[in-house]
Amino acid sequence: MKTQTTKIERRIRLAGILLIAGLLVELVTLRWSHPTAFLLFLLLGGALMALGIAIYLLSIVSAEKKPSLE
Amino acid sequence: MTGNTTILIAVILFSIVLIAWLVLRPSITATRGGKMLAFVALLIFPALAGGMGVNRHIERSKTTNFCLSCHVMEDYGRSLRVDDRSFVPATHFQYNLVPRDQACYTCHTDYTMYGDVNAKLRGLKHVYAYYLGKPSQPIKLYQPYNNRECLHCHLGARGFEESEAHTKDPQTLSRIKANQLSCSTTECHNIIHNVGQLKEATFWKEQAK
Repeated sequence: MKTQTTKIERRIRLAGILLIAGLLVELVTLRWSHPTAFLLFLLLGGALMALGIAIYLLSIVSAEKKPSLE
Repeated sequence: MTGNTTILIAVILFSIVLIAWLVLRPSITATRGGKMLAFVALLIFPALAGGMGVNRHIERSKTTNFCLSCHVMEDYGRSLRVDDRSFVPATHFQYNLVPRDQACYTCHTDYTMYGDVNAKLRGLKHVYAYYLGKPSQPIKLYQPYNNRECLHCHLGARGFEESEAHTKDPQTLSRIKANQLSCSTTECHNIIHNVGQLKEATFWKEQAK
């Protein structure tokens, strides 16, 4: 049980770091009016945020699945 | 900074604070309240901030400053300030016939269902050409300028419908409306940006308000 909690915590921490990085990219690109800023926001910021959300969702799914297997 | 941008920045900063709290103390997600907090901080707020960010960037991509932020567009921006009424874009810009802060977008985005999407896809090609390729000089339109972009505002206007040049030949108006007779490539309104003539041009100096 302890290992399970730690794994979820690790995933939440990773998801959080990725989301913060994505949000910081968004914050920086909002200050810059240039087509490159638009691309950076979509490709880098969007990818970081999507990955962060996906890892968070994965952590929820895996946390639900594990007890039913035991 | 507009009100929408301020709200967006507030949402981003609030999200970062909430997420940072979870990153520093992930053990709080073991409780019911912590789970709800994680759901809001790691899913709802980032999705909201991302959606608002896309909207903000798309709105900003319509502005004249955005279009002129690339070096290759500088002369086209200068052509909007030529002090000569025969320059069609300059007249539209200086006499507020198009919104000045969206001057490029008003005339160069197709007024069709996918006009915006097509413009963004073409924009991707332009960024590629800007950094990795070679922008064509002079810049050319992808396809002949469609009268639809002019008629969007001029259709039905008295100055357009009753103009002597448009009504002298009864076929002229119907051919313009059917895009069979181009507004810009015939000899009527054919001085567009003409960036090659800017060296000899004089420029309008906007009075400070």
